[in-house]
Amino acid sequence: MQQREEKQLEASVDSLISLVAHVKNALQNFIYKLENEYERLTWPSVLDNFGLLSGQLNTINKMLKNEKTPSFRSQVIIPLLLSQKPDDDLTVLTEQRVPVFSHEIVPDYLRTKPDPEVEEQEKQLSTEATRIGPDVAQKQIQALNKMCSNLLEKLNNPREDRDAESAASRLNKPFFNPGDTNALVAAVAFGKGLSKCRPPGPMAPGHPGQGPMMSGGPTLQQVTIGGGPGQQGGMGGPVAPQQQGQPGYNFTYAHHHHLSLFHWL
Amino acid sequence: MEAPPVTVMPITSGTINMMEYLLQGSVLDSALESLLHRLRGLCDNMEPETFTDHELVFLLKGQQGNPFILRARRSLSHPTAPWHLRYLGQPEVGDKSRHALVRNCVDVAASHSLPDFLNEMGFRMDHEFVTSGHIFRKGAMKVVVCNVSRVLVPGNTENTERMSLSHLVELSVLAPAGQDTVSEDMRSFAEQLKPLIHLEKIDPSKQRH
Repeated sequence: MQQREEKQLEASVDSLISLVAHVKNALQNFIYKLENEYERLTWPSVLDNFGLLSGQLNTINKMLKNEKTPSFRSQVIIPLLLSQKPDDDLTVLTEQRVPVFSHEIVPDYLRTKPDPEVEEQEKQLSTEATRIGPDVAQKQIQALNKMCSNLLEKLNNPREDRDAESAASRLNKPFFNPGDTNALVAAVAFGKGLSKCRPPGPMAPGHPGQGPMMSGGPTLQQVTIGGGPGQQGGMGGPVAPQQQGQPGYNFTYAHHHHLSLFHWL
Repeated sequence: MEAPPVTVMPITSGTINMMEYLLQGSVLDSALESLLHRLRGLCDNMEPETFTDHELVFLLKGQQGNPFILRARRSLSHPTAPWHLRYLGQPEVGDKSRHALVRNCVDVAASHSLPDFLNEMGFRMDHEFVTSGHIFRKGAMKVVVCNVSRVLVPGNTENTERMSLSHLVELSVLAPAGQDTVSEDMRSFAEQLKPLIHLEKIDPSKQRH
């Protein structure tokens, strides 16, 4: 009798170990993906990973509920030897996670009860549950079930019904007006619809007043880098004083490119 | 013979021939918020930039037929930033299967005396308008959602009126000539914005009449 129980226990512990190893691998892959490939990660693949994990947890639950599994609650684990020295075998066995079987790991790894705060909360929840009475509880359960089934129905129903009504509402509200498109493009491309401006007569080229000429002096000199002398006449317009703060850079850059433009003319 | 002195040699431009690939559409003001939300999700994760620009279009009429057009643009939200001068060529009449409008594009920065300089050169301002809106970026693609307003009094950018109740949406890429994968990428991005807006290749010359 006892041998059979021992064998059952061993078998169930082995299968539990393998299932937990599956979960651990899935988690490892998922974390790797999240850390290294997050730029390419899509929401559906994240959901796939979560689905995989939940499936594996379900398997573990089923295995634990299986009648062939002895009740683990009746088993007790007692640490026989605690030492402060690192244990190489243990380190290898646990993949570097538990190097020392010492006093600080025992409360975490050999825990059988939840934290005191968590226990408090659980007690509160169970007293709350018994307090409200079976009828009210039943009504709440029914309401929850109804809402879930409504949602499932909406999600599972054929898409055509939904598409028809949303398409109809979309047709009523057009988002763009092709006439407006053409008008805007024409306006931006060649000024159709914008008032045309024709300033009276060309301004006399190369005719600076004495005043602007003085303020334009330093900048005109900077412009002579690599340009033909004939270009200077064109720059006779009044130069805004702020340009002197940014000396030749804007002018020479623009000048160089204006010269490149002259290839087009 | 000695080589001529450096100052006499002509300066050849060192710029690469850049082409602008363009798709345009529009969205009604009522649907603007949904479009901005969708673009915020689709495009690179950054705060969408808003801008207010004043664009002046200058024409140079030569003896031959088509006038030469230059577009000068300045930012009304950053008044001290340099002006931006742009030349856009004729749209390339390549194969019809190319999904975007392709034209040659030359961009330079210019100082604040640009309008006077262009006037002295002989250009005349043909029209001007004010645009303001948002810019989104996705990789090399740039999406601009803006409203276009006409300037009622020439030179006075405070007094503007909206041209229509729609915002103009432009998807553009600046790329060197000869890259045809660009228009494929633009088309697949435009697909993601349907049916909210239809971005398509609109030939400006067809809109003239």
